[in-house]
Amino acid sequence: MKGLRWILLVAALVVLAAVPWFGSDVLVQFGINALLLAVLAQGWNIIGGYTGYASFGNSVFYGLGSYGVAIAMVQWELPFAIGMVFGVVLAVAFAFLLGLPVLRLRGHYFAIATLALAQVMIAIVSNLSIAGQNIGLVLPPLNDDRLFYELSLILLIAATATVFWLTRSRFGFGLIAIRENEEGAAVMGVNTTLYKVLAFALSGVFSALAGGIHAYWITFLDPASAFDISLNVKMIIMAVFGGPGTVLGPVLGAFVLSTVSELLSSEITSVAGLFFGLVVVVAVIFMPRGVADLMRRFRATGWRYFVKNLKAHRI
Amino acid sequence: MDLLAQILINGVLLGGLYAVMALGLALVWGVLNIVNLAHGAFIMLGGYLSWHLYTYLGIDPFLGLPITAVVMFCLGYALQRGVLNLVVRAPMFNTLLITFGLEVVLTYLAQLAFSADFRTINPSYAGSSIALGPVVVPVARLMAFGVAVALTVGMWLFLLHSRLGRAIRATAQNLVAARLYGVEPRHLYAMTFGIGIGLAGAAGGLYGTVSQIDPYIGATLTAKSFAIAIIGGLDNPLGVLVGGLVLGIIESLTVLYVGATFGDVASFGVLVLVLIFRPSGLLGKTA
Repeated sequence: MKGLRWILLVAALVVLAAVPWFGSDVLVQFGINALLLAVLAQGWNIIGGYTGYASFGNSVFYGLGSYGVAIAMVQWELPFAIGMVFGVVLAVAFAFLLGLPVLRLRGHYFAIATLALAQVMIAIVSNLSIAGQNIGLVLPPLNDDRLFYELSLILLIAATATVFWLTRSRFGFGLIAIRENEEGAAVMGVNTTLYKVLAFALSGVFSALAGGIHAYWITFLDPASAFDISLNVKMIIMAVFGGPGTVLGPVLGAFVLSTVSELLSSEITSVAGLFFGLVVVVAVIFMPRGVADLMRRFRATGWRYFVKNLKAHRI
Repeated sequence: MDLLAQILINGVLLGGLYAVMALGLALVWGVLNIVNLAHGAFIMLGGYLSWHLYTYLGIDPFLGLPITAVVMFCLGYALQRGVLNLVVRAPMFNTLLITFGLEVVLTYLAQLAFSADFRTINPSYAGSSIALGPVVVPVARLMAFGVAVALTVGMWLFLLHSRLGRAIRATAQNLVAARLYGVEPRHLYAMTFGIGIGLAGAAGGLYGTVSQIDPYIGATLTAKSFAIAIIGGLDNPLGVLVGGLVLGIIESLTVLYVGATFGDVASFGVLVLVLIFRPSGLLGKTA
């Protein structure tokens, strides 16, 4: 059984990796977007799903990664790889500088503080001349969708492997303990502040790398699109729909919702947005632990699974 | 000096409006322990409702405010009774997510129904103003400020002296004890949420007379309302009024001395600072 699972996983990866060699251009471009969104959802999973801190500011990391690459390549004429490193450095610095004070806040306070930070970043970057102010930056074009696709896939595998490592490492157990009971975790000897900041930074690294790849692929960025708050919307909804605090849930959520949203937005764009909102409302009521939990329990409980969740928290 | 006086007046007038925006959020948060991330979207809906009343029925935006507030109250009551009641005892994380989902739904519904064009409510007196020495006071802003202060003080008196207000405060302090005294929590929660949304609707109507409405203003207004609720604390509407005035003045001063694009940076910077140093609010009790 366990062996079969690994074989399936490897087969799925091989098929995914081969997509650019048999798929159409449209499919590859959709794939790059879906893979990058899956990386963002997986990155959010580290701070939101495993540590239990609902970050509404992960788009800041994405924006920092985008601008890291853009500034390095356009202003300093450095290669793409160094730009990625620069973006990661920016994200980690941000996670430590602002994570330290903000992560002291709990619950609502943390969520809104990160939301506010995301809005502040747009205004700050719009006033920086090195970042092209509110006009933005244009990167040198590289017309190689295959490369971007495979880079995104590798990044997603790295993010998922990291989350898998969390489920069986001392660090990951510490994060889960913080999510379940922060005082309890502190009493048990978890350095909660350090763990939370590291989780925030780790989640930021993957978001920044995704932002960097996206910036070079799209070759243009401005503050409003790089720090787009609706990106937060997407990554949270995908992670919650798939199953926050599970290894494959956020990836599954990202793939399923990207596909549905792509099909819907070929009709009307705002219908896709409406759909995302409805998904999160319905998901929180009927399956707050996501598709991953649903698949595990549905066989035993059947439709009662939904009824049980519906009745769990009402008054 | 004249310029400074003018900026301060602008800040105070803006701050009164901010206070009404935050009032409903603080009420719902304090009683239901739900931070309603859709609050700004309800303000936006209230603005559109006022705009439609004025544009198609010719109802003056200030006279139409009671209609807007009542319609929004009913919407809020129904939403709480039908949807949010299902998650009211869920972990905070889930209530944040569900109101966040509502925000997205309302934003896109508004975009489908009203298009993405921005709207302004322009009654005949919109352009007129009163000169007080060197300082100019726009009439519409002054009226919005007056209504805002009246609503805040009215809310304070209501919570302090009415039977329902006392039940709301009792529930905020201790749900079990309030139940023992005959409070029906489902009805009371829905009433509270309805009042909160009604206030948001009224705030939206006022906002429409002094600024522009489009489907996407919700998120920023939620964050601002939250900042004000944090500065003012959740216990007392008068604290929220102070919070609104503080934020309005800070924003106006920043726009003058630092630059127009930094207005939001200042208000959210203040929010983050207050959260870090006094998480229970400038005027609130220390936790």
